[in-house]
Amino acid sequence: MARVEDGTLLAGQGRFAADAAEGAHQVVFVRSTEPHADILGIDTAAARAMPGVLGVYTAADLGLDGARLPVLTTPNPAFAEATGFQMAEQRIPLLATERVHYVGQPIVVLIATDRYRAEDAAEAVTVSYRGRAPVTDAATALEAEPLYDHLADNEIARIGYSFGDPENAFGRAHRVVSGEYRIGRHGAVPLETRGAVARPDRRLRRVDLTTSTQIPHLVRNAVRTVTGWAEHEIVVHVPDVGGGFGTKANVYAEEIVLAVLARQTGFDLAWIEDRQEHLLSAAQGRDQVHRTRLAVDGQGRILAWGDEFLVDVGAGSLWVAGIVANTAVHALGPYRIPAVRMSGRAVLTTKTIVAQYRGAGRPEAAFALERTLDAAAAELGIGTARIREINLLTDTDLPYPRPIPYRDGEPIVYDGWDYRACLTKVRDLLPETERERLRAEHPGALLGYGLGCYLEATARGPYETARLRVLDDGAVELATGAAAAGQGHATVFGRVAATALGIPEDRVRYRPTDTERLPDGIGTFASRSAVVAGSAVHNGAMRLLDRARALAQEVLGGPVEYAGGVFRRGEAEIGLGGIAAHTRGDPTALDVTETYRPRTVTWTMGVHAAIVAVDRRSGMLSVLRYAVAHEGGNELDPEIVRGQILGGVAQGIGGSLFEEYGYAPSGQPLSTTFAAYHLPLSTDVPNVAVAHLHVDTPDNPIGARGAGESGTIAAYPAIAAAVDDALGGRIHCAATPLDPGLIHGALRKAAVLA
Amino acid sequence: MTEIPIEVMVNGTRFRRTVAGRLSLADFLREELRLTGTHLGCEHGVCGACSVLVDGRSVRACLMLAAQADGREVTTVEGLGAEARPLRECLARRHGLQCGFCTPGFLITATELLQDNESGKPLTEDGVREALSGNICRCTGYQGIVEAVLEVGNDTETRDDA
Ligand code: FES
Ligand code: FES
Repeated sequence: MARVEDGTLLAGQGRFAADAAEGAHQVVFVRSTEPHADILGIDTAAARAMPGVLGVYTAADLGLDGARLPVLTTPNPAFAEATGFQMAEQRIPLLATERVHYVGQPIVVLIATDRYRAEDAAEAVTVSYRGRAPVTDAATALEAEPLYDHLADNEIARIGYSFGDPENAFGRAHRVVSGEYRIGRHGAVPLETRGAVARPDRRLRRVDLTTSTQIPHLVRNAVRTVTGWAEHEIVVHVPDVGGGFGTKANVYAEEIVLAVLARQTGFDLAWIEDRQEHLLSAAQGRDQVHRTRLAVDGQGRILAWGDEFLVDVGAGSLWVAGIVANTAVHALGPYRIPAVRMSGRAVLTTKTIVAQYRGAGRPEAAFALERTLDAAAAELGIGTARIREINLLTDTDLPYPRPIPYRDGEPIVYDGWDYRACLTKVRDLLPETERERLRAEHPGALLGYGLGCYLEATARGPYETARLRVLDDGAVELATGAAAAGQGHATVFGRVAATALGIPEDRVRYRPTDTERLPDGIGTFASRSAVVAGSAVHNGAMRLLDRARALAQEVLGGPVEYAGGVFRRGEAEIGLGGIAAHTRGDPTALDVTETYRPRTVTWTMGVHAAIVAVDRRSGMLSVLRYAVAHEGGNELDPEIVRGQILGGVAQGIGGSLFEEYGYAPSGQPLSTTFAAYHLPLSTDVPNVAVAHLHVDTPDNPIGARGAGESGTIAAYPAIAAAVDDALGGRIHCAATPLDPGLIHGALRKAAVLA
Repeated sequence: MTEIPIEVMVNGTRFRRTVAGRLSLADFLREELRLTGTHLGCEHGVCGACSVLVDGRSVRACLMLAAQADGREVTTVEGLGAEARPLRECLARRHGLQCGFCTPGFLITATELLQDNESGKPLTEDGVREALSGNICRCTGYQGIVEAVLEVGNDTETRDDA
């Protein structure tokens, strides 16, 4: 079934940030060309004198000297206590004044009458630098001079916990396998870049900021923290958003500066980033190295698991707590693991800032654990499916508690049904025999089969909001704090509201999120919207109905029946619109703002299977077949859930095969165009078969589990395992993007041996 | 700066304008004519979001100057009419779009593909994937887009009214 969103988008009538820029002057940022340097001087005189230039500003010119980006997550104290989580203070300036820490860091902002003139002027701004040594690797950064003066070293966060006496288990195990696994720096790269439009209103003393974001409320809060403005002085609106995937679940200096600049100049201003700017300065992701140890018995049963990881967060990350904690929690995996030793550190380097990217620690953790399991299977001479069968949690284990709390401080209890069933199911969808069948069609290639399991905590709190209001014609207006970025919120939340209210779906009007209509909210990330915002919509609708019922009883003078938006008492009836008219004097009567707080997360588990072809001559990789079986909850819209999986798999394939933000030893970024940063094309992504194993969850009123990241998390290990298998176990792929040189070398060696 | 007079037919309407020599066709369409359905995903010719038809052939409007459109006929996504109706319907039904940012470009490229294919030879999945490989979609994994083009091209009424 088509989505509510589709009509306008297909007509070319979408309203994205750049489409809201009519009449606004154009803003361009002058960015650092150095990975690490002291700023000796900034000369804006030539730029100011250029035609069409309306102003050129440094931090001092805007009163933003010393202003910094506020951090977006702080850990729950109980979680921090149990896991030894600590983090240092980050000081990422809005506009750099003394020192720059990455190429692309904003330094100067300027306004011109059009984009062409603004870019001319940006080139005329001269920043003089005294270079410092770049640091492009996390391990080196740990030994290097601190990159920020207020810090003693470059470690910005750490975590460490253990349970179940792992050292004893390692000591007496049948085998201990160890490895080092690296997942390269890549990221969300939505097709629409970042962009924002700020329109000041002098009389109201407010700025309306329309920005391409997943988290409007956090953007508003950050503007307020920096400026001290009252809540009504900054209203953030979400336009149509052309994809987010995490990089737009971040607050950016550019957004805050634009609001400040609009207020200061009185101009309507638009900043629409170009692609090069995006690849230089929008937050990136992943970039982790894991050192693993896995102890197994003679049958392949896991006895103990150890993982020591490093996260390179570049010049900083407002989400560092989330990324480190996610990694450390999800590295526990969907298995029976009696003893664990886990430790992780996040490290500053002179690369671009980092935020969450679809999975945010989960794919990295899955890559480390799954690849290590494959290494153990090889060591024991059992199959990769077999070792998973032996260790996956089943209905006799689940629900399965873990002896540490989740990030919300609540005890971890996996609330699944039978994780082994997902393995069985995915092998039905894509049997290994398919590899044999495909060999005939691909004589020039070696074919391999790989599996990857994942477990994702979804639907984290602390809360999400929804507002429902009856309009005069009886239709219901709906808004949620979880902003949409292509996931079909209007369709899904509209349906939740319509179902709860018993009215047709076309009687619900979904309004894009803005912080005035709905003053409180969190946002869209971490596979949370469907469950948390969906539950808020459901509960809000029920509350609205209760209120309407009470009012209807007053009007009709006694108990009423309800169906399809109309209350009846005998022959008399009144519809939702009628009640709205009746209560016109009290506009709050049929206007409900609901906050839903999940008790804790709910867990989604799944298994990916891939068949990959390795070209015998070139070592080129192509993914021929792909399947995902997952244990999910009630699907509010099965097609939309499936779409999330398919899109997620494509992103996982991209990260496994070619996506990478490369950096030269000089610290200069190498991936600044779509020619250098290769996104998966229609010829790179196969059709994906998806099976949904339904496992209800009583934890939320709509029985849903999150799935937004499920398509991405296990793609990396599944594809790497398939390549190992194609080469008959002559290599063990331990880094993404997979190295064609390594594969080619193994092929040559194999040819020599053959 | 050189200003160049142009006369261009866009979606059936004739426009006479004077444009800066360096103004791209995409910016001309978006800023001057307010036809914002033509999207900019990269401005360096890779993503295909800015695709429009110029004299019936698909062109990347970010790589063409407005001045080069002088005397030509341009069709943007807003100008696709009845010929694109089945494609629009199939894209929606098969979830060939999520954020919709890439969609106008795919509509243009696929319309050209379907027009070129009036030979009647059935489209193959590989052929469609190849033909669409100059358009990037970051959201959908392409499956729904490819299915929609195949369905329209081969007129296969495989309606799964899910
Ligand atoms: S914007 Fe023209 S090809 Fe990307
Ligand atoms: S639907 Fe978002 S880029 Fe294609």
